[in-house]
Amino acid sequence: MTRIFLNGREIEVAADTTVLRAALDNGVYVPYFCWHPRLSVAGNCRICMVEVEGKGLDIACNMPVSEGMKVLTDSDEVRAARKAMMQFLTLNHPVDCGICDKAGECTLQDYHFAYNGAPSISAEPKVRATKFHDLGDRILIDNERCIVCSRCVRFTHEVSRSKALGIQGRGDTSLVRCEEGRRFDDPYSDNVIDLCPVGALLSRSFLYKARVWFLEATPSVCPGCARGCAIRIWHLRADRRLQRLDPRRNLEIARVTPLDDPAVNGPWICNKGRDLAAIFERPRADQAMLRGRPVPLAEAISEARRLVDGAKRRTALVSSWGSDGELAAFRDHLAARFDVRVKPDHVPQPGEIVEDDILIRADKNPNTRGARALFGERPVAFEPGTDLVLVWGEGFDYSRVPAGAKVVLLGSYLAPENGAADVFLPISVQTERDGSYTNSDGIARRFEACFPPGETIAHAADLFAAIGGRP
Amino acid sequence: MRAFEKRLQSFEVTETSHTLAAYRSRGGYGALAKALRSMKPADVTKEVYDSGIQGRGGAAFPMGRKWQVVKPDDGLEHFLCANADEGEPGTFKDRWILENAPHLLLEAMAIACYAIGAHHCFIYMRGEFDLSRRRVEGALEEAYGAGLLGERILGTPFSCHVVLVRGAGAYVCGEASGLLSSVEGKKGYPRNRPPRLTVRGLFQKPTVINNVETLSNIPWIIDHGAAAYRALGTPKSPGTRLVSISGHVVRPGVYEIPFGTPLDEFIYEDCGGVTGGRALKAVVPGGISTKVLVAKEIAGLPMDHASLDAAGSSLGSGGMIVIAEGTCMVRLLQVMLRFYHHESCGQCTPCREGTGWMHRIVDRIAAGRGAAGDIDRLIHVSHFNDGTTICGLGDAAGYATVGILDKFRDEFEHFMAHGRSRCGGSLA
Repeated sequence: MTRIFLNGREIEVAADTTVLRAALDNGVYVPYFCWHPRLSVAGNCRICMVEVEGKGLDIACNMPVSEGMKVLTDSDEVRAARKAMMQFLTLNHPVDCGICDKAGECTLQDYHFAYNGAPSISAEPKVRATKFHDLGDRILIDNERCIVCSRCVRFTHEVSRSKALGIQGRGDTSLVRCEEGRRFDDPYSDNVIDLCPVGALLSRSFLYKARVWFLEATPSVCPGCARGCAIRIWHLRADRRLQRLDPRRNLEIARVTPLDDPAVNGPWICNKGRDLAAIFERPRADQAMLRGRPVPLAEAISEARRLVDGAKRRTALVSSWGSDGELAAFRDHLAARFDVRVKPDHVPQPGEIVEDDILIRADKNPNTRGARALFGERPVAFEPGTDLVLVWGEGFDYSRVPAGAKVVLLGSYLAPENGAADVFLPISVQTERDGSYTNSDGIARRFEACFPPGETIAHAADLFAAIGGRP
Repeated sequence: MRAFEKRLQSFEVTETSHTLAAYRSRGGYGALAKALRSMKPADVTKEVYDSGIQGRGGAAFPMGRKWQVVKPDDGLEHFLCANADEGEPGTFKDRWILENAPHLLLEAMAIACYAIGAHHCFIYMRGEFDLSRRRVEGALEEAYGAGLLGERILGTPFSCHVVLVRGAGAYVCGEASGLLSSVEGKKGYPRNRPPRLTVRGLFQKPTVINNVETLSNIPWIIDHGAAAYRALGTPKSPGTRLVSISGHVVRPGVYEIPFGTPLDEFIYEDCGGVTGGRALKAVVPGGISTKVLVAKEIAGLPMDHASLDAAGSSLGSGGMIVIAEGTCMVRLLQVMLRFYHHESCGQCTPCREGTGWMHRIVDRIAAGRGAAGDIDRLIHVSHFNDGTTICGLGDAAGYATVGILDKFRDEFEHFMAHGRSRCGGSLA
């Protein structure tokens, strides 16, 4: 351990740490743009200047602590340097917060008020650059807003390892660009949008869709693969929900961002996780049916109970997208009466990355491990004489249903099989319920409901209790 | 030309004086043989340390101290780089060595590699240097052919390979760490220190980077000893140095002079004084990154690091620029700042934004559209470009600006008040 004096306060920190880390870990905020805990030190934004007694000003992010070091993070010199850095950083940066997607969560905007707050002292016209340069199918860059912090470039070199981005040119005409002849088609590309401390890197899917102060984030878990990355699902704030204009927007996922979970995904997620809206917002099945005939939910539950009670040999295919709580409910209420098999709801799609050594897992289901812990690892198959099949979720080939067997189907999305099932029960999706998944490493993480389920939709756990309960 | 024993320019330049045969006839590679056969690496480093030689690239860091950090037997791979980028405007003295004495550099590099335990070294040369490139490539071929480089040099167990790397021409690639980034194939961005490059340099290995002229003194030091080296120059700045002098001077060129030579004597006696019989207005003593001195400040001023520092400037890279009366300092600063703006690599904020900002302000003043507060704004920007950047380019832009504004503020005020230059805007 090393003893240093931070603004006169004696603290002990790890010997191999930096002044910036030491300050942040000890409750002293030092501003930074280019520094990121998961990237190499670039030291180029220069906003993290601190004063070291006897040495003057230097950047805290690259300064190792040394025994007895006396650091001032808010001296007159430090304040002057920060103010000057903000003048430099905003010199050619357009003041277009009103139309910038980063407004409301822009570090530059925050720091300007915190550390400068004064009108520009420059009388020179701003240097112009490209406004919407196409980096790839998902990302645009507004070079006028870019402060060349190089976080995005370092991300593609150090985390995603695609090396897709670099910096062209020099001086105040430096531009973040794809490497020559490349497109920014990195499967983790959208992380640079979060990494960007200003509004330079823009998401095509989120651009101009919402002001972030009208949104709120619900902690959740990405169901896209067995990694189970911690995410935040952004949607309209409760007090901003629309009554008349288009109330469907109240139930929309505005965007998905990572939730830093060091044990699971760190601060990153893959692009599939960003596209959860495309998964969750498919056309929903919200009508209970008996062989395609719409019926009230209660009638369908009653019929399902009757079929289960009347069957002699039952097989259940449980969903590996089911939460730990739902799986437990199935175990408690129905498992004893069924030959239970765990079914993969999703398999890799053509063109999808099957697995990599960063985050993506080959198993495209969030809770296979949780389901197998309860019901074993036997493949999907049917005992001879099976006369009832309960299918929970997606991904099952119905041509495999034994001849003459009845089908009770619990599903969330419109599909041809819904109408063919003897009983179809519409169930809630992840964004409509609380729960947890157990990822491939055995780590359980909770998710919370973002939206209320429709009135005609049931939670699977409640259905299991209703179907399995003795009359 | 004053009489003293030259070390680097100790021969007549002819059509063949750069060849191995000519170099050998001057005693070339004798120091390498002496070092490899009769000295241990630590002895070589000690001799260099004792000589007191300072770096000639601009920073004047003691060469021996730099070498001492690298332990030849620490089990790590070490590298040596000769900085032959020489991009400082007004500085062209290394080119003289590269073109006329390439073997001197190669011999020095082999000795340096022996001292620091390196077996691979690089010459990083500015891409625009064509004759230099051809001469060094020719010298490398000759040296390898004669067993003076490569495996088991001169029959000793020591092996050393020299690779010539040509830059694409960026000022920051002459900065030590930017140079390494370029050699590694990356964009020539300077690196933050710590770690020092002698601890973690090229390919993350301990690396010594020396200027071409600095290295070229080594054979002489090994041949003659540290004490002999110290006999010339001043106690704190021993030896001789090459000065490239240009501008409004009668005899521009590259001169070798002992440290401590009075600056005015050098200009008027050795170099023939100011062109056209004009009065001397100012001198940039060591490349445009050093602060300008006016005529009265150079009277009797010894050309050594301590004296120049005391005068508020620096000997820098040895690129002296003579400025005659009648020169417009606004235009001169405009040209200087165009250079810094163009050459800023864009990595760190103050330099990326500051050099352009300063350039645009002076551009506007030079266009007759100066405004109240411009001078103070220039000083403000210069101040925050000084010491807050990763490398010295931002500092240098600030030095150049503040230096000229300090000494010639009235010219700027005149320009702003009247919309035109007091000197007709002339640089001729």
